[in-house]
Amino acid sequence: MPVLRICHLYPELMNIYGDRGNVIALVGRCLWRGWEARVVRLSLGDPIDPSLHDLFFIGGGQDREQMMVCEDLAGEKGEALRAAVEDGAALLSICGGYQLLGRRFLTCTGEDLPGVSLFDVETVGGDTRFIGNVAVECALEGVGGTLVGFENHSGRTRLGPAARPLGRVLRGHGNNGEDGTEGCVHRHAIGTYLHGSLLPKNPRLADWLILQALRRRHELEELPPLDDALEEAAHRAALRLVLGERPRKGRPRLRRLRPSR
Amino acid sequence: MNARLTAAVAAGKAATWLSRRLGMGAGSNFPGKVILRLHAGAPEAMAAHLPGGCVLVSGTNGKTTTSNLLAAVLRAGGRRPVHNRVGANLITGITAALAQASDLRGVPSGDLGLFEVDEATLPAAAERLRPRLVIITNLFRDQLDRYGELESLARKMDAALAALEPGARVLLNADDPLVASLGRDTRASIHYYGIEGAGDTEPGLRHAADSKHCRGCGSPLAFEAHYFGHMGRYSCPGCGLSRPMPEFLASRVELAGTAGSRVSVDTPRWSAEFSLPLPGLYNVHNLLAALGGAQLLGLDEEAVRKGVEGYSTAFGRGERIPVDGRTLFLVLSKNPTGFNEVIRTLRGEGEGLVILAALNDRIADGRDVSWIWDVDFEELAPLPRRLVATGTRAWDMALRMKYAGLEAARLEVREDLREALRAALDAAAEGETVYALATYTATLDLRRLLTRMGAAPGIWREG
Repeated sequence: MPVLRICHLYPELMNIYGDRGNVIALVGRCLWRGWEARVVRLSLGDPIDPSLHDLFFIGGGQDREQMMVCEDLAGEKGEALRAAVEDGAALLSICGGYQLLGRRFLTCTGEDLPGVSLFDVETVGGDTRFIGNVAVECALEGVGGTLVGFENHSGRTRLGPAARPLGRVLRGHGNNGEDGTEGCVHRHAIGTYLHGSLLPKNPRLADWLILQALRRRHELEELPPLDDALEEAAHRAALRLVLGERPRKGRPRLRRLRPSR
Repeated sequence: MNARLTAAVAAGKAATWLSRRLGMGAGSNFPGKVILRLHAGAPEAMAAHLPGGCVLVSGTNGKTTTSNLLAAVLRAGGRRPVHNRVGANLITGITAALAQASDLRGVPSGDLGLFEVDEATLPAAAERLRPRLVIITNLFRDQLDRYGELESLARKMDAALAALEPGARVLLNADDPLVASLGRDTRASIHYYGIEGAGDTEPGLRHAADSKHCRGCGSPLAFEAHYFGHMGRYSCPGCGLSRPMPEFLASRVELAGTAGSRVSVDTPRWSAEFSLPLPGLYNVHNLLAALGGAQLLGLDEEAVRKGVEGYSTAFGRGERIPVDGRTLFLVLSKNPTGFNEVIRTLRGEGEGLVILAALNDRIADGRDVSWIWDVDFEELAPLPRRLVATGTRAWDMALRMKYAGLEAARLEVREDLREALRAALDAAAEGETVYALATYTATLDLRRLLTRMGAAPGIWREG
């Protein structure tokens, strides 16, 4: 029986945008298949042993917490994370977590934070925030289709020559609001700006991560299917919502002054 | 007489009448917009006529209940507060409340202003109204898309408190480490309220807890007792910061589910026991904030007792509405800590409940619904025999419940609120309670629907 060994990094520091829903989804989807999922929570000062974990998760956090994590990931710990991914482990990083795994992060206050360099991306702090619903056409082989989520970030992330995006933005801003890319993929590691939480409403992406993670130690061609009717309905509803949104111009006017029915 | 103010107030009154006629609901923001367009300084011009000055109540949770409780106490003490009781807590709403209470010269017919203020609006409101008392209830993560992160919000509040006049007073929640850290640069006098003797504490911090680190030195705080969220009795092992000793404190609390609680209160002037008709430990905080504020404004024990015991629930904050032979228990549930406390209260109601969960993502709710993954719905999942998910994000709500462990047979999705309410009422037996947990605009929608069904009075007529 396959056992998925999840490492949740900095759960108490990088946790403000509901990103733990991704871990809930990964665990749930293993249990529903009759498999086991174990979650280990590692934080500041805890060493990472690359061989002990099949799937790493790191969420988004506030500025101060992000600085603490950045410092903690410098050196050996970041190297261990890179080694695990090069060895085939899966990884999902969201927003602040994604930024820290790039080459560097130049904050809008002028600090130059070195990253883990797992993804060939660089992030520069902007003076406005990109906030809103997002729809992405997923470029990942074996997933395809659309991804839906919610972004809330001021960082502008640019892909380097070695970087592949997770997908193309249909609505929203994505990596930088200019080149139409969203997120980054390296081997089985994904960085993205999408909260929501991301995985519950994008079950095909959740299963892709689970499959890649388990393949490291188990012979598996594909995952047994689950009844995803509710997941797909939530995905479609979110997609309808974001595709139906018109870009907002200015403030609502008095035209809305109509009797409600 | 100021002609411009008169024109603005007259236009505001007309706008109020119009928006009610057109069924726009409470009509509490639109008139304010009209007035401010005609006279940008209207709120301060009207407030200047209030002999008792202004009181502002801000914070993430508990603003409405605290200010409504305080208003009830003030009225019981013979004062006449001008109050934005509908919960329209931006400058527009405060302006509309002042205009509604004013004559055409812009002179309000009250003796002091009592306004709940959106936490991001506190600096602007304090600058305009120069309050004599500011109450801050708590700061939790809420609508990160709108308010930003907690530390930046705390800095803005600090700036607002630093600008207060020396004679002003500030009443802070000692149990919230972030709130208790506010006001270090203010010239106003600072007072604290807090809970000392809560029997029903939590074993540890929840993952949705926010301010777990010392604001001064960044060390993790040590908690001697956890109440909810990051509320508790704490100290910092790093720099020695400790929780301030509250002046207004609950020395003993006995919770009784959705029915409320019995609370023993000590203040510098008197001690008393209250039957609080509001559920949860968070409402004990609201009680302490209100009675502390009342004492700082010079009200006596008798006014507090009359005000609290005669209190009828603010709309959507634990209101019980009879409909179709059933009771709808309507409780606003809008952020992780608030929702966790509502769930804790429902756990006292047993299992086999009928629950209506309404999740909207309009601007006033926050467009991002990711926060539902920070709520401990795993503790709600065993309770319902039927849960109807509704609202603009009905499917997100349903999916959250599925991953929390609620099986499909007990889960129903109805995007349309009217259909959802129907389904929930049909699932309940005669005389049974339907528990409606709703985000801010969903609470308004639900209330409007109930009014049209003839079950509840209009929002603006209540109180």
